[in-house]
Amino acid sequence: MGDFLQYTVIGLTVGSFYALVALGYTIVYGIIRLINFAQGDLSMVGAFLGWTLLVSFGFEHLPIYLALVIAFVVPMIGTAVVNLGILQFAYKPLLRRSLLAILITALGMSLLLQNSAELIWGAAIEAYPPNLLPSSGFFVGPVHVTYVQIALVVASLLLMGGLVAFIQGTTIGTAMRALAVDHDAARLMGINVDAVIRIAFVLGAMLAAASGVMLGIYYVQIHFTMGFLLGLRAFTAAVLGGIGNIPGAMAGGMLIGLLEAYTTGYLSGTWEDVVVFGVLITVLIVKPTGLFGERVAERM
Amino acid sequence: MIAQLTERPVGRVYATVRDRLGRTPYWSRVVVSLVAIGVAVIFWNDDYVTAVAVSVATYAMLGLGLNIVVGYAGLLDLGYAAFFAIGAYTSALLMTQAHWNFFTTLPFAVLFTGTAGAILGYPTLRLRSDYLAIVTLGFGEMTRITFNNWEYAGGPNGVLGIPWPNFFGYELNTQADFFIVGLFLLAIAMIFAEHLDHSRLGRGWVAIREDEFAAESVGVPSLRLKLFAYVMGGMWGGLAGAFFATRIGAIDPTSFTFQLSVLILIVIVLGGTGSLPGVLLGALVVVALPELLRELSDVRLLVFAILLVGMMLLRPQGLWPRIRRKPKPFYGLQEEEPEDVAARILREHQVQMEERDRRHAAAGHKVPAAGEILLEVDGLVQQFGGLRAVDNVSFSVRRGEIFSIIGPNGGGKTTLFNCITGVQRPKRGRVLFDGRSIVGLRPHVIVSRGIGRTFQGIRLFKNMAVFENVMVGLYPRHRTMTWQAMLHTPGERKDELRTLQESRRWLSFVGLESMAGQLASQLSYADQRRVEIARALAAHPHLVLFDEPAAGMNPTEKLELVGIIRKIRDLGITVVLIEHDMSLVMRVSGRIAVLDHGILIALGKPAEIQNDPAVIEAYLGREDDDMGRLTAQEA
Repeated sequence: MGDFLQYTVIGLTVGSFYALVALGYTIVYGIIRLINFAQGDLSMVGAFLGWTLLVSFGFEHLPIYLALVIAFVVPMIGTAVVNLGILQFAYKPLLRRSLLAILITALGMSLLLQNSAELIWGAAIEAYPPNLLPSSGFFVGPVHVTYVQIALVVASLLLMGGLVAFIQGTTIGTAMRALAVDHDAARLMGINVDAVIRIAFVLGAMLAAASGVMLGIYYVQIHFTMGFLLGLRAFTAAVLGGIGNIPGAMAGGMLIGLLEAYTTGYLSGTWEDVVVFGVLITVLIVKPTGLFGERVAERM
Repeated sequence: MIAQLTERPVGRVYATVRDRLGRTPYWSRVVVSLVAIGVAVIFWNDDYVTAVAVSVATYAMLGLGLNIVVGYAGLLDLGYAAFFAIGAYTSALLMTQAHWNFFTTLPFAVLFTGTAGAILGYPTLRLRSDYLAIVTLGFGEMTRITFNNWEYAGGPNGVLGIPWPNFFGYELNTQADFFIVGLFLLAIAMIFAEHLDHSRLGRGWVAIREDEFAAESVGVPSLRLKLFAYVMGGMWGGLAGAFFATRIGAIDPTSFTFQLSVLILIVIVLGGTGSLPGVLLGALVVVALPELLRELSDVRLLVFAILLVGMMLLRPQGLWPRIRRKPKPFYGLQEEEPEDVAARILREHQVQMEERDRRHAAAGHKVPAAGEILLEVDGLVQQFGGLRAVDNVSFSVRRGEIFSIIGPNGGGKTTLFNCITGVQRPKRGRVLFDGRSIVGLRPHVIVSRGIGRTFQGIRLFKNMAVFENVMVGLYPRHRTMTWQAMLHTPGERKDELRTLQESRRWLSFVGLESMAGQLASQLSYADQRRVEIARALAAHPHLVLFDEPAAGMNPTEKLELVGIIRKIRDLGITVVLIEHDMSLVMRVSGRIAVLDHGILIALGKPAEIQNDPAVIEAYLGREDDDMGRLTAQEA
């Protein structure tokens, strides 16, 4: 039982990272039906930008709150710019073309980001400052909870809450929801479709970058290929929760995190992806719209 | 581009040469080109060059397999390396553990990968294409990780010491030997792929890519065709895997990563999706380019990524795109006189009907005679959320009559058609055709039972020629098997010719023979509707459902349509019509049903319907309604 709870704590922490990236997939997919394969790699870019600021620029020596604000905000902006560039140069001309063309381009962008990162930051594993946040924790019964875990989960919950508030409470959010239903109708109502798509890409990138920095803080080690598996699991989470469905993406992320933690705990770390994909395939076969139902109409 | 070329003398020579070449059998061209390549490489006599050439051949083989999946069937597969891995491991384990000969392991490598393809494909091919991409990606990773964790297969170390292949006592152990084997396998793969592409399967795949829903509705078993492409592609991957294993001598899970799947995809996208020479060219670029740019090997993938994205933006058709020659319809067919055509259609149709009735009776079912009930709809209910689109509708259609369904927009007419043709499953109620229930059958099965249809919004395969559209409609009537298509046997050729002949007859039946070679999208609205009618008739249905066939037609065209509908009835085919043009409906229909808000409010002969107060009310509103009186006066 103690083990189980311990794995649950780990799973929820990791799951909140996946949930953030999954939200990026879901927002972009909901609006333009594009699987932005580069989503995970945007996370990686965010992680490296954060690392550059903290370690290369030495911001880790600043007061902790200031360092954290810089380490989150700057990569979020930087990654958003990168994603906007991707949208403008690669996806925009293809939006009206076949699904295959867009998907292959998205794959190309993912490869491009990875290899550019390798060129810029090198192929070596880099390390976040290990003691940025106090590594101590406390026990709840037999379960050890660290302050880092609490801080990261709270931060991602805040980001998710902010996102929901944005989408539900603002005019732009309403426009996004309208676009998810019908592009042409939204355009006829005077919504600037291109601008809304750009906002979706900015939001997706910001969430991805934040999760990247969190991963860096949590796992310490970062590598230019880290985005691949992260993106894959996050996408799995998005599909599991029903793509286009925002609460679904959050729940899906948590679920994947838990699944991963239990597999590692009870079975072995080497089987993680087999279990994760096995569950994904099973869910898609049994309920193709995901556990919580899809929020998009099929493009005929 | 080709058209521009033919304007110039050089272009004309090129066109002539191409035409001549086009008439030689495909296999001879493949054999000649590959032998030429083989001779050139072997006479170069450089081990390094030959080794690179073997790699190119391996990638080309993989590309050809994936091309069937992606290029022909239009399914995105991001885990193709899994099939390569399964083939490689099957062959390697059989050779090292069971000490089999390489060539004996091949059937098993192919069998295992084919089975894996079927197991993965069957449940997942119903998914949307982008989901399928992720599922295949997941499958690829699962396969690799499983091999990585599987002790018997050597775990992370893989299988070592795989012996050379032994060909009747001759050990193949030089790069040149492997190159010859590789070219041989490649030749077979290319010939089979080309034959498939030009068979009814190829046509079915194009139709599915263009409009899967329409393809299924005119009789193409879309799931089966997709599954077949998947299994075929998997089998080629398995073959390439076995070849790879024995050539390298040691395999481990790192040879079968996601990156490999992406590289193979790049091979075909770079070369031109669906193009066979494109696959060869793509393989050459993907393998040889990094060899040429050795010092750049650090940024190899970066260059690829840029190439890939640039390619999609600037030259999405690929380096050697698939050339769609302007289709020459009816090339080599005998001319037929118009009266002759009509007589043949009638005869052929009667033969078909009799054969069908006989089979039907032999199976113990009652065969409705003319005037007896052919289609019976009983208590049909279809509901979307709170809206009852079809509410407890019952009627029956007699064999040989023209039956019209009319009613205001939103009355549930098209929903009714969709329930009958298997596009939707009704909530409640029965649909009996020929005395047998057809509820819950897939659309293509219902087509083969003998119901054809057209669509309210035209759903032709826009980028196929008119006659090809009709040939897709003939899909259920092919008599040849897949292996015959792959080998392009005389039987299959005869079958294709017969299909072509019949498509021509049906086009002449609707008066469009002269348009046969045009792309469907180039035709006028009215002509497109007629092509849809020909496509629906091609399968020799018992019953056709036409959804607003006169929409968008001018008065002359409508008059011609009336003639066509009567001609169809004269063939003995029962016609059910949804139509808004009252004069047309009144002129052709034997009986008319009126649907309003999903409810059947009237059923009877045209004269009865015209004077039915409920019908007048549904169309024009009640007497005390000002608007109603106004419209009534105008009318």
